[in-house]
Amino acid sequence: MKPNEKEYMDRYIYQVIRRLPKAQRDEVRMELEELISDMYADIGSMEAVLTELGDPAEFAKQYQNDRQYLIGPEYFETYLWFVKVVLICAAAPILAISLIHAIGEMPTMTSQNAAPVMIRAIAEGLAKGITNAILSCISAFGVVTLIFAIMERQKVKIELKKAEKWSVEKLSQDKKITEFRWQPKFLEPVPDKRAIISRGESIVGIVFIVIFSVLLIFSPHFFSAIFTQGGTVTMVPVFNLDQWESILPIFVLSLLIGLIDEILRLVVGVYCKLVMISNILCGAIQIVLSAVVLKVLPIWNPDFVSELELALGSQADSVAKFLTHWNGDMVSNGLLAFIALVTFLEIGTTIYKTLRYGASSKKS
Amino acid sequence: MGEEKDLLSTLLLEIRRGTLTISVLSQMKEPKYGYALVQNLEEKGVAIDPNTLYPLLRRLESQGLLESKWETGGAKPRKYYQRTEYGTKIYKQLKTYWENLSDGMERLLREEEA
Repeated sequence: MKPNEKEYMDRYIYQVIRRLPKAQRDEVRMELEELISDMYADIGSMEAVLTELGDPAEFAKQYQNDRQYLIGPEYFETYLWFVKVVLICAAAPILAISLIHAIGEMPTMTSQNAAPVMIRAIAEGLAKGITNAILSCISAFGVVTLIFAIMERQKVKIELKKAEKWSVEKLSQDKKITEFRWQPKFLEPVPDKRAIISRGESIVGIVFIVIFSVLLIFSPHFFSAIFTQGGTVTMVPVFNLDQWESILPIFVLSLLIGLIDEILRLVVGVYCKLVMISNILCGAIQIVLSAVVLKVLPIWNPDFVSELELALGSQADSVAKFLTHWNGDMVSNGLLAFIALVTFLEIGTTIYKTLRYGASSKKS
Repeated sequence: MGEEKDLLSTLLLEIRRGTLTISVLSQMKEPKYGYALVQNLEEKGVAIDPNTLYPLLRRLESQGLLESKWETGGAKPRKYYQRTEYGTKIYKQLKTYWENLSDGMERLLREEEA
């Protein structure tokens, strides 16, 4: 072998092994040195040898394992579904909150410039909302993809381990394996159409819970009675913002429990025992927490009436007059009764649908 | 035309993938080094590209069907591969399966000709 031929051989080998995992490189280098010098001895021309071996990139591909994807076919469908749901749940609240924020921070307006000011505020809110929504969608997409990629990797690892164990036992213990075989009796009954939980409803529920939570956390002053009076905007907060720090966590916890229940419904998709139990538990906890928030904690702005009267001055019209009859206790009782009624209705519907049409066994 | 060629080469690749494994296993009762195996198979009418064979040998070794040993005594180091006991066990089953399959295939394809 002439020196320049040896040089070509080294170049070729380098182009193959630089594409391989480090652990394999040294041994593959020795293998290829052996192969190429054998072929050279047979054929007599380095150029012919390397031409026959072909593109080193293709050669390296043969050495690589077949697993060349981030998310495999097994997870792909679930992944697509998840991406859709997460994107909607990320984009919709952000869009809505940006709009609300823009309107909330609207500059003072008079009757003459009301329309342009409002339109500009909405346009700005939309532009900001779309930008933020796109940004958060990108990160949500990234997070979901990362989680699935990790799942894919872990699964592959588990499967490799299984294959190793199998290979030894497979031949001698044929009988044992047949026991684990899939059988028709594993088939779950087709769910009744009326037992299917509407995905749209779950997503709408999730989006609303998220919007409400974000507003409560970041701009509780949004929940205010707003008056415009001679060009100035007066906002009288409904909630007790002075003690907001102690009220907020329980408020949010209650919403979070509702969110968990909605997500479970979305994922399971069918009325069954699991959904029913979750609904009963979450509903009960939510009623208790609502009672704590509304009856025990000082949730309402104690100065609401006096601030309102101050803001309105003598100009109080009929609606405002009605508001001055504000009575925190009465509102609490009314709201609590309403929440309890809605929750009981939902639990009732869930129990009825589960027992009537639901899948008899827990969906695993 | 290009599409037809692509399709054909994909289908051929699918057929070859399994047959190459049996072909290689069949020759590995005695220790052999890579290029000798290439020539050996070619003589018997089963051509295999070295750039397919070398990675295949490594894969079979990682699956426990072959074992390898570097011989450093000669003019240059050579890697010798040989079937393991487990490899022989698998090879025998593959062989039985192949014989049944090729009988069946023969009947199918002859039926077409008639």
